[in-house]
Amino acid sequence: MSDATEYAISVSDVKIRYRVFKKISLLKTLLAPHKYKKTELFEAVKGVTFNVPKGQILGIVGKNGSGKSTLLKAIAGIFSPDEGTIDLHGHSVSLLSIGVGFQNKLSGRENIYLSGMLLGFNKEQIDEKLEEIIEFSELGDFIDRPVKTYSSGMYSKLAFSITAILETEIMLIDEVLSVGDAKFKKKSYEKMRSLITNTDRTVVIVSHSSETLQKLCDTILWLHEGEVKMQGTCEEVLPLYEEFMS
Amino acid sequence: MGRFFKDFKRFFNYIVYSSKAELKSEVADSFLSWLWWFLDPLLYMMVYSFIALVVFNSKVPYFPVFVFLGLNTWQFFNKTLKASVKLVQGKKMIVTKVYVPKYMFVFEKMGVYGFKMVVSNLLVVITMIGYHVPLTWRVVWVIPITLVLVVVTFGISTIVMHFGVFVEDLLNVITVVLQMGFYLSGIFYSIESIGTVVKGRVPEPYGTLLVKINPMALLITDLRRVLLYQQSPHWVMLIIWFFVGLLLSFIGTKIIYKYENSYVKVI
Repeated sequence: MSDATEYAISVSDVKIRYRVFKKISLLKTLLAPHKYKKTELFEAVKGVTFNVPKGQILGIVGKNGSGKSTLLKAIAGIFSPDEGTIDLHGHSVSLLSIGVGFQNKLSGRENIYLSGMLLGFNKEQIDEKLEEIIEFSELGDFIDRPVKTYSSGMYSKLAFSITAILETEIMLIDEVLSVGDAKFKKKSYEKMRSLITNTDRTVVIVSHSSETLQKLCDTILWLHEGEVKMQGTCEEVLPLYEEFMS
Repeated sequence: MGRFFKDFKRFFNYIVYSSKAELKSEVADSFLSWLWWFLDPLLYMMVYSFIALVVFNSKVPYFPVFVFLGLNTWQFFNKTLKASVKLVQGKKMIVTKVYVPKYMFVFEKMGVYGFKMVVSNLLVVITMIGYHVPLTWRVVWVIPITLVLVVVTFGISTIVMHFGVFVEDLLNVITVVLQMGFYLSGIFYSIESIGTVVKGRVPEPYGTLLVKINPMALLITDLRRVLLYQQSPHWVMLIIWFFVGLLLSFIGTKIIYKYENSYVKVI
């Protein structure tokens, strides 16, 4: 790629470790200090480098435990890499996920504000999108009832609608969400498709389904045990990945 | 520093909205639960009145107001601090899904308990009127005293919140320390003498020393001095504690910025 390419995400030599050290207890430390001497390190991501040009859709594949979700969370800023850097070039980012801390006793409407503000939107921006979110969630009158009265389907519909309609420049999707009944599933898939294909938006999707990735992505990053095994177009990577997994 | 103010501005809406939401969901359960914001201090005041007036034969003028001031101020500090210990675990749903500077949760709690303190303090106003407490211009010192309270509470709570993530029995320790703090802050007795009207119960020089080293004792004593007994606050100590509070807040937010991204890996 030429130097003129505008990147939205630059990940360089990122390493992420989990310290397998459990919580400490003051009492136990006093009584049995030897127990806490060793802290095991587990490296989930071992030096990964890649760039995503603005407007592109990147799919990440890999078997369970290959560090996909960890990497995604690091890009979302939920935790920082232990080594290396992740540069989003000033773009706003959100992890499309189910339910960012709903307050069960409050109404759906109030929870839209709460979640929106957590994602860094101000009241005016949420006001603007409020009707669209309510309409998309198909909750009708339930929107003014406490969230605790919702069925689990309604709960996830609302959560999906919030993150899908309050758009950010970079969207991170962990497993293409299948929410609600068949009808809503189709609708949310369509919505996601239209979100993803917006040329201004940069998207990273983590999925196990080659079929979905084939349909949605421009390029594929294959992670294997915390390292990049391969990067390229769907046609290049997916057949080899399929073969590897079978 | 710059990052702190930028983040604070960005999440200010969230702090206000989520504090309100928490208060609201408390009231949503039973319509009259806000009555408890008054009943709580009122009933406790009666308990302490019994202990102080009957058992210890105390002769503090305006005793109910004296207790309300101590109790409301203490509860703000006490509840915020206690809530901070398990705060990050409690917000697991949020912490694992989206990035928020974690000390925002402390602000949220301070909003909730601060509001309750203001409501409970209506009792102070009402009883002061009832007792015809003579007021002087010194009542304006309530504002700087409250500011010191906020800064000190925030500083200590952020640090406690950080360690609360990693130390699982910190709550036990904090509970005991706070219980001790309660008795050492002079909620239902006066630590040092105020003018000639209130006799200090802790022998000198320990009384004066305690008021100096225990910020809550200092703040409560000074609130009583300016509101009830027409005295000036301990200026020097207030200024010192203001800066200590700022320093603690600085250290707390610094630690949180440094380590908050590993919280997810622990909880």
